[in-house]
Amino acid sequence: MKLISAQKISYKINEKKLFHNLSFEVFSGEGLHIKGGNGSGKSTLLKILLGITSITKGSIEYNNQDLKISYLGHKNAIKHYLTPSQNLQLLFDDATLSNAFEWLEKLDLFQMQDELTANLSFGQQKKLALIRVLAQSPELIVLDEPFVGLDHAASDLLNNFLIQKLSEGTGIILTSHIHPSFECQVIALGERNV
Amino acid sequence: MFRFLKIESFKLFYKLKSWLGPMLIMILVLTAFPLSIDISQFDLEKFYFSIIVVSLLMTSFLATEGMFEEDFEDGSLEQEFLVEQDFYKIVLSKIFVYVCFIGVPIAFIGAIFSFANGVAIGSFMNVFFLLSLSNLLLFNLFAFGNALSINKGAMLGVITTLPLALPVIILLGTAIRSIQYEDGFLEISSLMIGVGFLISAIMPLIISTALKTHID
Repeated sequence: MKLISAQKISYKINEKKLFHNLSFEVFSGEGLHIKGGNGSGKSTLLKILLGITSITKGSIEYNNQDLKISYLGHKNAIKHYLTPSQNLQLLFDDATLSNAFEWLEKLDLFQMQDELTANLSFGQQKKLALIRVLAQSPELIVLDEPFVGLDHAASDLLNNFLIQKLSEGTGIILTSHIHPSFECQVIALGERNV
Repeated sequence: MFRFLKIESFKLFYKLKSWLGPMLIMILVLTAFPLSIDISQFDLEKFYFSIIVVSLLMTSFLATEGMFEEDFEDGSLEQEFLVEQDFYKIVLSKIFVYVCFIGVPIAFIGAIFSFANGVAIGSFMNVFFLLSLSNLLLFNLFAFGNALSINKGAMLGVITTLPLALPVIILLGTAIRSIQYEDGFLEISSLMIGVGFLISAIMPLIISTALKTHID
């Protein structure tokens, strides 16, 4: 089943083209890896696919308007003045909260659940933010540089999770400087002026 | 909508500085002002309301400072946009929660101090009601200023919203005189309720558009 389809999309900022006439499709159980240098427009492309940023030209179609998407961008969307436990209470409803706490344990954060999130390291905050994606069952997962800041164990856990989700039929779009350990389409974005 | 109210209440409850700070400043100003000047009780009764109005203006500005900035900075706005596709409900909930958790207590403090400074006990509820309504208007206006000034410094918000706040202050002043002279309270409070409804419905729409522009 086709989840998302981009047809000849172009985007320019300050008269500089970040990408031009880009077309691709993502189906259920399929991965898309967007790679490119710093400032090549990887994050912008993700935001365009999510409808956060408007494109200059082209069209994006979704399988349905209620497509369930989990997204984690550069910004973690966690509150530093709350504890990890309170952050999860904020993000999840009663039905999914226990699952989120299970992930807290798997990611070695359970002992710190009552500490202030501001006191956690960058990697630990990233793990906490990832639970937003890990503890849900979306049709499409969109991740912006998900492996940055993660230790080997957490990277492996995330990789395995993504592989499992692909086998369950979830679509995955991610940006990363390293190639993910599963088969996927690759879009290489050029330098800033391409 | 209920989900947003729950989320915003939860967040504000743990942001002690955001709700306790304005209340303490309100108390501090209302207490310190009469102490700081040599003035008779008779004179104080005449213009103490002005101090309450200025304190209200100042604390409501302080309370709404950073209202949307934090959610913008940490990426929460993007996440909410994915779910809702606009910010209207979020903005509406946020302003409602801020008015309930900060605006109404500030109005209560203002009403207590007005009572302590010579306003008849029977007028307490009227004063409280007017100050709460004024806070509803001011919070909406300053929330707009805050939404505009994300990433652009607080000055843009101040420059844009302070002129808009002046009519509210004039309205509040007129309402307070109607209490002092016991004339026309019903008319002026009806006008404020009407304006309150209008601004509460329209302002979140404008703020929502401003926020969308910021994340775009």
